[in-house]
Amino acid sequence: MTKEQRLKKRHNAEKRFRFYGLTSIFFALLFVLILVHNIFSKGSSAFMKTAINVEVFYDKDLLELEPGASEEEILEADFFDITIESLLKVYPAKNMDEEDALIELFTTDAEIEIKKAFLNNKNLIGKKINLEITASDDIDQLHKGNYPRDLPEDRRRISNFQLEIYDVLVENKTITKNFNNYFFKNGDSRDPEIAGIGGALVGSFYSILICLLLAFPVAVLASIYLEEFAPKNKITDFIEININNLAAVPSIVYGLLALQILLATIQLPRSTPLVAGITLALMTLPRIIIPCRASLKAVPPSIREGALAVGASKFQSVFHHVVPLALPGTLSGTIIGLAQALGETAPLILIGMVAFVVDIPSTPIDPSSSLPVQVYLWSESAERGFVEKTSATIMMLLSFLIVMNFLAVYLRQKFEKRWN
Amino acid sequence: MNNVKIKSKNLNVYYGEKQALFDVNLDLNEKEVTALIGPSGCGKSTFIRCINRMNDVIDICKVSGNIEIDGVEINDKNLDVVSLRERVGMVFQKPNPFPKSIYDNISYGPKIHGKGETKSELDEIVENSLKKAALWEEVKDRLDEPGTGLSGGQQQRLCIARAISVNPEVILMDEPCSALDPIATAKIEELIDELKKTYTIVIVTHSMAQAVRVSQKTGFFHLGKLIEVGKTEKIFKNPDNKMTQDYITGRFG
Repeated sequence: MTKEQRLKKRHNAEKRFRFYGLTSIFFALLFVLILVHNIFSKGSSAFMKTAINVEVFYDKDLLELEPGASEEEILEADFFDITIESLLKVYPAKNMDEEDALIELFTTDAEIEIKKAFLNNKNLIGKKINLEITASDDIDQLHKGNYPRDLPEDRRRISNFQLEIYDVLVENKTITKNFNNYFFKNGDSRDPEIAGIGGALVGSFYSILICLLLAFPVAVLASIYLEEFAPKNKITDFIEININNLAAVPSIVYGLLALQILLATIQLPRSTPLVAGITLALMTLPRIIIPCRASLKAVPPSIREGALAVGASKFQSVFHHVVPLALPGTLSGTIIGLAQALGETAPLILIGMVAFVVDIPSTPIDPSSSLPVQVYLWSESAERGFVEKTSATIMMLLSFLIVMNFLAVYLRQKFEKRWN
Repeated sequence: MNNVKIKSKNLNVYYGEKQALFDVNLDLNEKEVTALIGPSGCGKSTFIRCINRMNDVIDICKVSGNIEIDGVEINDKNLDVVSLRERVGMVFQKPNPFPKSIYDNISYGPKIHGKGETKSELDEIVENSLKKAALWEEVKDRLDEPGTGLSGGQQQRLCIARAISVNPEVILMDEPCSALDPIATAKIEELIDELKKTYTIVIVTHSMAQAVRVSQKTGFFHLGKLIEVGKTEKIFKNPDNKMTQDYITGRFG
């Protein structure tokens, strides 16, 4: 082979490699785009809800309330009758069937919404007010364009009569799209239009907080001891191998362990963020120890020697010099470990977090859901409204993960600048 | 002739199975510069790391034999290495300032040893140490800046100042100029000349010229053995041993 041929061959090899690399990046980006597009196109509509403008008359006689009634009296009062009265005024219904069909356009929580409006303004008694009452899931989906209205009537959940009302409402502009505060505020529900991730958010927050409080100090101290103080012998080698093994154990195994020990033996309350936090901490521990040790190892030995040479003790050289330098790496490792824990589903299903919980937990020992489990629960539901809610929950989860990962990168870069 | 400050007797060092030093008997005089020369891997760094027990850090390193400073055995398990290292400072081959401010680099040693209780005392120690290390004029206006931002030669003088800051009796220098340019090297050598008035200095060097310039006494190591030791003039003009002769004339090494 001549020199020219060899040169050409080398250049071709470089070009080929560049082509392979660019193709791989193209495909990776393509898949990410497909995923993001899929989730956004399905999920973005969940942040809006459909409401119908209804004139509500707080009839003194129907409510059986006097002006100046106390909060307790109002809470006990029956708003059912005025709710039905108000909703029926939206459109003239000729018979009982049509009345039922009309009422079905609204959420089952219409009565609660009317009651809440009254609680906010107790002077409304005997007065009329226009309220935006949340529409039912079917109308919501229809209004968002997710529901095919050209199907034959017997295959539709919405009757022709209901479609007729809907068209009139659209024409009168009494049907509106608002920001869906229920999605963030409410707990889970069987009715998609009032279901929200409030409970799951709080549950995830408590779980991750407990996970952080348990895993971070243990992981950091274990890493410092193993990396800086422990003698290098067979026992520490064995521990090291097992930490690496534990990091690779499937998360569901930790769920089984928690089920056996935390729930069956210690009898901690089921479905609670407390148990979830402990389980996730067990799972996250080796995943924090590994980056933590790596960042301790990355501190140049000359720094340790420098400290020892001026007469610092081992402890002083580690805690005054090595640990502060390893801190950015440690923190970003911890955050990435927590981000993994935040998205973990399998162990939480085993410890009963998959239960249907409507209430928003106020303490870590209340039954609760969590974001990934909520995704799992809703993805199994038949109602169309849950499809968009599933994707919207994934969007929330992804945005938390992205924020956490950015924080990790930011911390690492910010603190690493200091010693270069 | 000055008094003997450090005395090693039958010093043997092992790294695991491998023996790095064989029966080294060497006396180092007070307030004098002793240069240790020899080819790479001959054990000269290992020897000076025995004087402040830096070899303790290496798990597989075993030291036997005796080293006495002022007649006190330091190779004693019960000896507190922290107070030993307060008396025996060290400067390394590669400048290794802490990634902190210039001020903190110097004040760290005094602080952990409880010298300089007040801010003004510490300020004084920092200023004196930097002056002794001939760095004060260059850095006095930027003590808050990171020590790692200085040039290589300045960093090494900062490390010398750091070693001086705890007021040691002995300063060990492990090839302190090998990472520096000739101008920075000249400054350090000048500094060593000045420092020997106060401190006992042991310097490991690969440069014969440097050994001639800075030291009063020279020891030649080869394959873990101390081949010859004597006055620098004698070693370089008229060595007793043929191997020393070959090494200093550049025939091997």
